[in-house]
Amino acid sequence: MKKHFPEILAPAGSLEKLKVAVLYGANAVYVGGQKFGLRTAADNFTLDELKEGVLFAHQRQAKVYVVLNSFLHDKDLAEIPDFIKFLSEIRVDAVIVSDLGVVKTVASLTNIPIHISTQASTLNVEAAKFWKSVGATRIVLGREVSVKEAGLIKREAQIEVEMFIHGSMCMAYSGNCVISNFTQGRDSNRGGCAHSCRFEYSLDLGLDSMEKKKAYFMSSKDLEGLRILPDFISEEIDSLKIEGRMKSHLYAGTMSKVYSEALSFYQENGHFLSEDLMSWEMELKKVSHRTYTQASLVKPAGPDSIFNERENSSDSEWQMVGKVLEASPKTGIVLEVRNAFNQGDTIEILPFNGKAVSIVANEITDIMMKPLSRTKPSTLIKLPFVDGVERWQLARQKV
Amino acid sequence: MKFVTYAQNLNDLNRIKNFGFNEVILGHIDFSRFGKLSDEEFYQLAERAHDLDLRVVFEWDVLMTEEKFHPLALRLPNLLKWIDVLRLQDPGAFEWSLNNTQLPLQFIAENGNHNLRGLQEWADYAHDRLERIILSLELPKNKIEEYCQQLKVPCELLGLGRILLFYTPRLLLTPLVEEKISYNQEIAAIGESEESPHKGFPIVENRHGTFMFHIKEFCVLDHHAELSAMGLSCLRFDLRWTDFSYLDAAMSVLKNEKSFEQFKMSFPQDLMKGFYLTNKTDVLFPKLKNHRLQNRQGDYIGEVIEAEKGSHLAIYVKNELGLKKSDRLKILHPKGEEFFINIYSLRNLALEDVEAVAGDSVAIIQYATGVWVKSHVFYA
Repeated sequence: MKKHFPEILAPAGSLEKLKVAVLYGANAVYVGGQKFGLRTAADNFTLDELKEGVLFAHQRQAKVYVVLNSFLHDKDLAEIPDFIKFLSEIRVDAVIVSDLGVVKTVASLTNIPIHISTQASTLNVEAAKFWKSVGATRIVLGREVSVKEAGLIKREAQIEVEMFIHGSMCMAYSGNCVISNFTQGRDSNRGGCAHSCRFEYSLDLGLDSMEKKKAYFMSSKDLEGLRILPDFISEEIDSLKIEGRMKSHLYAGTMSKVYSEALSFYQENGHFLSEDLMSWEMELKKVSHRTYTQASLVKPAGPDSIFNERENSSDSEWQMVGKVLEASPKTGIVLEVRNAFNQGDTIEILPFNGKAVSIVANEITDIMMKPLSRTKPSTLIKLPFVDGVERWQLARQKV
Repeated sequence: MKFVTYAQNLNDLNRIKNFGFNEVILGHIDFSRFGKLSDEEFYQLAERAHDLDLRVVFEWDVLMTEEKFHPLALRLPNLLKWIDVLRLQDPGAFEWSLNNTQLPLQFIAENGNHNLRGLQEWADYAHDRLERIILSLELPKNKIEEYCQQLKVPCELLGLGRILLFYTPRLLLTPLVEEKISYNQEIAAIGESEESPHKGFPIVENRHGTFMFHIKEFCVLDHHAELSAMGLSCLRFDLRWTDFSYLDAAMSVLKNEKSFEQFKMSFPQDLMKGFYLTNKTDVLFPKLKNHRLQNRQGDYIGEVIEAEKGSHLAIYVKNELGLKKSDRLKILHPKGEEFFINIYSLRNLALEDVEAVAGDSVAIIQYATGVWVKSHVFYA
C-alpha cells in the first residue's frame, strides 16, 4: 500500500517570502492579509500581492492558505464578507479560522475549505468531531497534542490533521493567554501579543530564603521535529507546519528546504541515514533560533522544554548576506545585500536542492562594475557567475 | 438575577444556601482546573447540596489531550447521578457531553467568543440543551447588553474574582522548587518583571498545569443593577483564593446594605473592572504596523532597492506591467515625502539601455535627489 506523506507548510510573511518558501520546496504556504490575522506587525499581503502569490504558488503546484484566525469581535466580523469573496475569486486553497462565528460566516459565503487554527486549541477526538460537524475540513491541532494522539484524532474523527513541526511556541494553550490584553492594552488574540511570556520574572515562592528567584520561567524553547518525521508519516498526519510569518527570508527558505528534502529522502528510501539527519540538523541550526525541543510531540513537554535564557540570545552562527536577484553568465550573480561582507570572505549560496555552494568573494563589484573591497547592506553587488546559482536563492555567511 | 459560586466544603454550602442561591459549582480534582474534591468528597458535597435544594454544577474546564480526555470521559458516567448541570469550556467536552449525557449544559465562552454570531451558533448547536453561556471578561457593557438581549440562552458574567491571564499544561514552577512533595502538591508564587509595569502576579501550579492571574481581581458588583437591567441572568462569585466570608460582604453590597466603597476598602485585593466600560485593545494596532509597508495597492510599481547618490536608482519592479522609459513616477520616501520624476535613463541589470523593463525584474534609472532605499514607487 502506498504510504501517506504529509505536506510541508511554510510561513510566508510577505510575497517575497512566499516565493522563497515555494521555490525551496514548501508544498503549501500560509499568509495573512492586512486584517484578521495574528501578526499585526508583519508585512502581510495586499490584495494584489495575495492574487500574485496564489498564482505563483499554483503555477508550482503549491497551495496557499490565508489566516483569519483572530478572535474577531462583531465589528471585525462585519468587515470579513468582502474579503472572503475576494479569497474565493482568487482561488485560495483554504482559510485558517479559530472562531465559530467566522467558521459559519465563511461557510455561508463560499466553499473555501476551512482549517481550524491552533488558536482554537483542539486537543482531542471529540473536539475534532465538533469542528468537523460545523464545517471544518482540517484541524491544526494544539501544540500539546502528541503525534500518536494526532493520528488517533485523524482516524477517529475522520478529518485532516495538521501539526506544528518547527518554530517558536506559545507556552500557554493557544488562545488561552490574555496577558497582553490586561497588562499592555493589546489584544494578543487579535494580533497584539507583547510576548510577556519571554520576560524575565522575579518569583517569590514563599521559601525560607528571602531571595526571589529570577527566571524566564514562561518562555518555551523552539519546536524541532525533524527526527520524528517517520512518526508523522506512520500516523498519516496530513500537514506539517513551520511557525514564523515574522521571520526572515533565510528562515523561510532554510526550513522549507530542510523539511522538504528530508521528506523526499524518506519517500525515496523509506529510512533516514544518520549522517543525513545530522546534516539537516546542522542546517536548522544555521538559522536564528532558541534551543530546540520536541516539546509534546512524543510525550508531554517537561521542564527541559523551558527556555530559561534572555529572549534575544541565539546559538545561530550564520546570517543571511543577501538574495540573488539575477544569475546568468551575462550579468553574473547580482546580489541584493542584507548584511555586509568583505572581499575574500567565503559565502554560501543555498540552492533549491542539494548542498550549499561555497563561493570565495574575491571579485566583488557594484552594479556599475566598480570593484569593491566591502559590501554594504541595501546595495546591489555583482559576483562572477557560478553554475547552478539561480534567481531567488539566498546567500549566507558564518559570523 | 441569579447568583452562583464555588463551594469547597460543607460550611461553604451552608453559607451559600443562607444567601438564597439555588445552585453551586463543585470542582472535582480531575476535571476542574482548581478543583480539590476527590470522588468521595464530591459525592459528599453533592449530596449535601441536594439536601439543601441546591443544583450541582459540575465544572469540567481542564483542557485535555486525547490520552487524558478519553479515560476521564469514561469516568464521568459514574458521577452523573450527583450532577445536575455540566459546565464546559473545551469543545471536546461540550461535544462529548451533548452525545453521552442528557444533562443541561453551561458553556464557558470566556476565551474569545467575542461576536454574536459565534455565540448564537454555540446555542444552536446544542439546541435546547444549553441553559447558559458564560461571557468573556473582555466584553464591554454595550456588548454584554446586546448579547443578553439577542441570545436566546441566558448569560452569566463574573461578578467578583480573579482574572486568569495564562494557562499552560506545563509545570513551570516545579523546576524552581527544590523539593516537591507530591504530584498533587500545589505551588504558589508571586511574580513580577522589570519589563512589565505591573507587580505581583499570583501564579499557581497544580496537577493541571500553571496559571497566572492579574494582580487585581475583577469586580462589577457596583454595576449589578445595571447588569440586571441589561438582562444578565447570572452573576458569579469566585472566592477560591480569598476568605469565603467575603461572600457575606459582597452580598451586602448587592442588597444595598453596604456601600461598594466600604466593600472595596475591606477586600484584601485591589479591584478592577477590566474592559467593562470599554475595550480598546485594538487601538494600538495601527502603531504596531510598519507604515512603510502599507499603501502598496493601486498604482504601486515596486521598491527602490539601491540609491547611489549621483549615479542611479535601482527599482525592483514588482507589478505585472513593468516600467517604460516614458513613465512618470511618484516615489514615496520612507518618511512620507513624495518625489515626482520622469524616466530618461532606463537600463537592465546587464547595464543595457532598454525602452522597457518587465515586471518582476530590476530597473536602473537615473538618480533622483532625496530618494532613499525602501522608497515605494508608483505611477504618477
